[in-house]
Amino acid sequence: MRRTFVVLFILVALVATACGPKATPTAAPVATEAPKATEAPKATDPTPATVVKPVEPQLLPEVNPLEVTGNVVTAGSSTVYPLAERMAERFYDEGFQGQITIDSIGSGAGYERFCKTGETDIANASRAIKDSEKEACAAIGRTPIEFRVGTDALAVVVSQQNTFVTDVTVEELALIFGNTATKWSDVRPEWPAENILRFIPGTDSGTFDYFVEHVFAKDKEPHLTAANTQLSEDDNVLAQGVLGSPYAVGYFGYAYYAENAGTLKALSLNGVVPTAETVEDNSYALARPLFLYSDAKIMQEKPQVAAYINFFLAYVNEEIVDVGYFPASETTLLAAQQAWVAAMQ
Amino acid sequence: MVSQVKTGIYPNETAAHRAALRKRPRISETLIQGFLFFCGALSILVTLGIVYELGKESLLFFTRQQWEETNRTLVDAMNAEQTTFRMTETGMALSVDSSIRLRSEVMTVTDIRGDVVTVARAQQNTVAAPHESGVEIETSRRVTLAEFFTKTEWNPQIGKFGIWALVNATLMTSLTAVAVALPLGLCVAIYLSEYASARVRGVLKPLLEVLAAIPTVVYGYFALTFMTPLLRAIFGVNTVAIYNTASAGIVIGILILPLVSSMAEDSLSAVPQSLRQAAYALGATRLETAVKVVLPAALSGIAAAFIVAASRAIGETMVVAIAAGAGPAFTFNPFQAAETMTGHIVRISGGDLSYDSIDYNSIFAIGLMLFFITLGLNILSQRIVKRFREEYE
Amino acid sequence: MKPRPHKDAIHLGTTGFTPNLSRRHRVGRAWLLVFQAATIVGIVVLTTLLLNIMNGAFGYAAVENKVDPDTLAVDGVPLEDLPQEELTRILQENVSAGLFRRLENDLPFDERARLEVYTLVLERVVEPRVVKQWSLQDSIFRSAQVKAEAARAYPKAELQFKSWLNSQFIRNPQSAKAESAGVRTAILGSLWTVSIAILFAFPIGVGGAIYLEEYAGDNAINRIIHTNINNLAGVPSIIYGILGLAIFVRALEPLTSGALWGVADPTTANGRTILSAGLTLGLLVLPMIIINAREAIRAVPSSLRQASYGIGATRWQTVWYHVLPNALPGILTGTILAISRAMGETAPLVVIGASTFINIDPNGPFSKFTTLPIQIYQWTSRPQDVFRNIAAAAIIVLVLLLLSLNASAVLLRNRFSRRLD
Repeated sequence: MRRTFVVLFILVALVATACGPKATPTAAPVATEAPKATEAPKATDPTPATVVKPVEPQLLPEVNPLEVTGNVVTAGSSTVYPLAERMAERFYDEGFQGQITIDSIGSGAGYERFCKTGETDIANASRAIKDSEKEACAAIGRTPIEFRVGTDALAVVVSQQNTFVTDVTVEELALIFGNTATKWSDVRPEWPAENILRFIPGTDSGTFDYFVEHVFAKDKEPHLTAANTQLSEDDNVLAQGVLGSPYAVGYFGYAYYAENAGTLKALSLNGVVPTAETVEDNSYALARPLFLYSDAKIMQEKPQVAAYINFFLAYVNEEIVDVGYFPASETTLLAAQQAWVAAMQ
Repeated sequence: MVSQVKTGIYPNETAAHRAALRKRPRISETLIQGFLFFCGALSILVTLGIVYELGKESLLFFTRQQWEETNRTLVDAMNAEQTTFRMTETGMALSVDSSIRLRSEVMTVTDIRGDVVTVARAQQNTVAAPHESGVEIETSRRVTLAEFFTKTEWNPQIGKFGIWALVNATLMTSLTAVAVALPLGLCVAIYLSEYASARVRGVLKPLLEVLAAIPTVVYGYFALTFMTPLLRAIFGVNTVAIYNTASAGIVIGILILPLVSSMAEDSLSAVPQSLRQAAYALGATRLETAVKVVLPAALSGIAAAFIVAASRAIGETMVVAIAAGAGPAFTFNPFQAAETMTGHIVRISGGDLSYDSIDYNSIFAIGLMLFFITLGLNILSQRIVKRFREEYE
Repeated sequence: MKPRPHKDAIHLGTTGFTPNLSRRHRVGRAWLLVFQAATIVGIVVLTTLLLNIMNGAFGYAAVENKVDPDTLAVDGVPLEDLPQEELTRILQENVSAGLFRRLENDLPFDERARLEVYTLVLERVVEPRVVKQWSLQDSIFRSAQVKAEAARAYPKAELQFKSWLNSQFIRNPQSAKAESAGVRTAILGSLWTVSIAILFAFPIGVGGAIYLEEYAGDNAINRIIHTNINNLAGVPSIIYGILGLAIFVRALEPLTSGALWGVADPTTANGRTILSAGLTLGLLVLPMIIINAREAIRAVPSSLRQASYGIGATRWQTVWYHVLPNALPGILTGTILAISRAMGETAPLVVIGASTFINIDPNGPFSKFTTLPIQIYQWTSRPQDVFRNIAAAAIIVLVLLLLSLNASAVLLRNRFSRRLD
């Protein structure tokens, strides 16, 4: 009901502003919310505003959240959640009148709601969609479009009491976390003959999956059967574990390392330290992408979904560092923006 | 005049008299009884619902065949008859007798020598076809009931489906919890019911009940950051792993303490005062009255408290997920990490795994298993209670 | 034949009553100590836990400004003395265009009071943030060291005693920034779901208990029901979530989404509503209520019932006027524990579809929702430390909410709990 009113008011106001440049404030009562929305364009722009308004350096039409209403239903990865929450809040802050919900339920369950039951408009994910999930999407008439919105680097960490290791190669990483070496000296002879205490994320996590894929070429067995391996699904808990001993080593999201930088030490991989630059140019070996997925039909039918993704892609780099992740590179972000434009045609 | 009826018992009985004495149909009473029966029977519906939902998905778990990329490919092209091929060196290991898939053709591995694989072609009603080099080799995972119930290693990611690793961990944590909560809770209950003044009881009981409401996440961190360091300080850092079942179990014990103490206190209080007075009159001390008279009389309620508490301990999730680690292990050492059934369920259901993976389906089978375990324990405890219960009045 | 004394009978043999008695009293005293010790252990644990939580919710915080107000001074005029136009300009330069447009749209800047614009500049541009938080324990017992450390490590920061639990925290909706985050939507969501759960489970639970204790004979069906209820108490909560998803969210969708009543909330448009969550929690706590109520009803002496029947009361009258009032304390204990359980539950609600982020208040049983434990869990798993502080504050809110919800039940229980003589 209210939505129809808002649309009606926008129409009326647009007609009014088109008729005479000095029309509105008295024409519409100020008490209700709707006329406020119609006055918005006046503040910054004397011409009647349209949602699509090309701005130079960006591919995307600028979105004015004040003119966007309706609901956006999203669900998925708990890794993407803090970022999505930040962007949704900014979307509200800049005037969005509808309702965005974000359920933090894990990437798998997020795809289930997007592809199988078709309840959500957007799936947040910290791993790319699998073929079987794409098939499920196709079965309900959805074609998932991928938008990469950022990067979560994995930090390989040891305690600061550990003085002997600062840099490893990816091959050594496979030894450190694999089932052939038990002692540090098995990896490099000059390292102490002490047991390696391994702390790794649970097998359900995208982090684990990504690590296995990139360090162990998808072979999970050596990783899972390594001696002295402790698993936890909570990165804070893993950090606690690594802190416990100078011979402990673990890996988890970079943000958790950053919070414990005073007591933990992140190893460089092949001599590359994880920083914004090395993560962005892919020279740091363990950088995991973060995604949003939606569907062209949903985006066209629900302009608020398109507007939200547009807004997300346009401003994500201003917020992402604060949340604890790394920005996606210019080219990947541009590709995501192109995907948005293509979807809207 | 009303005519006399001979069938009556009393000489002057009339039809009107008989009508007054006959059991009147009480519609409201019948309705109430019907409603109450429904309330009781609702639990059966809930159970049926649970068993149906879990059973449906568990069936998938035991019947489906799931294909997984090995990250290995064919080195050379192969024609439709060839039974050996070379695969690339890195990637997941294949095993003899397992099924593999290239494109849509399913094969069974009969021999592996280094990177040379011998297969039986065109299995499972598929058609042998030529494959060019670079085709991805997929391997399958399938769970059998026998494996599920006889093996002790649980690691779905590498095709290990032995439920006992999880069952064992669940029993370890819940037994520890029960060992902490039962004596402690019973002592608290006896103190509150038999010794404390009404005022003290009125304050302490609700206070302890607050313990039941603190979100279990908090208990989880309490176990990890308080109990585990404490255990490590007592037993040595090298004996006690940072994630361990003992710490999780003790903290679950604390979590279920108010269940035991509150419910047990209620049933102790409900024992008629006359029993106590009779005991005192015989010269029994307060302790003797409490332990030898009141306790047996309240046994049914105390047993109910134990059952509820133990059930809660078995079903508890977050504490074990945080403090006991996320790696399934078959160990009887309480100072080692192990994952419980509930811990596994919650981890998989909230993780990034695909919802149509065999791993994801496994949580329903585990849930069903858990359901039957608690059922068994309940039946057992009821037998025991029946034997020892003393009924007065 | 001389009857053998019962094994527990108190021996009054010729060996003498008195020496034995003192021993028995000693044993009694020793055990009293054990009982007291157990109670004290319980209280100590509770206190430790609560202190642990308080430790995070209060304490010294180093608050640093994102932008130093001194750098915002124009021509030597400090920020607080700047005229309104300058303040508006600063705001326009420093916040995103979209935000400025929204603020202008809410109320044009030339119509706003100067103080309001100044506050906006402080909030949005200067933006004080907590860079380090010390625990309550350190803040009280090591305050000198904390102050020294703050001065050394955060020279630009201002040290202030911060209570994360404040009225703003309770009033604000959710936020991605710990400093402005609040739990209003979560409190409302929790209250709604728990109320529905109890309204559903209490009558049905007590009804079931009455049936089993007062009406049911000792036959196979009733024994099955009995075992079954005990068993349901041990089913992990997440399985109730799976069940609730199948029944309330999917099968009864027209009912739980409100479509059947024509009041469906467009934001949910499916069964993932407060009603579904409340009913699921209701099923979850039902066994606990039934078991407690059964024990309470069983403890009512049958002499009361016989007296009631003797004066011609019907079965229901007996139950309603005599059994239930006497069983009430035990029933209420079950209810209190049930409320507590429902309040602290996370896993089933995640399956049912509680949102993690939602900043519009639920306005009825057909709304989408979030609850306190979900926020708490979500905050504790964040990397940044400040989120654990607000999680601690949220736990205190949860405990207080629970205590007030339970208060009436506790009072009633205390009133009715008198020993039956």
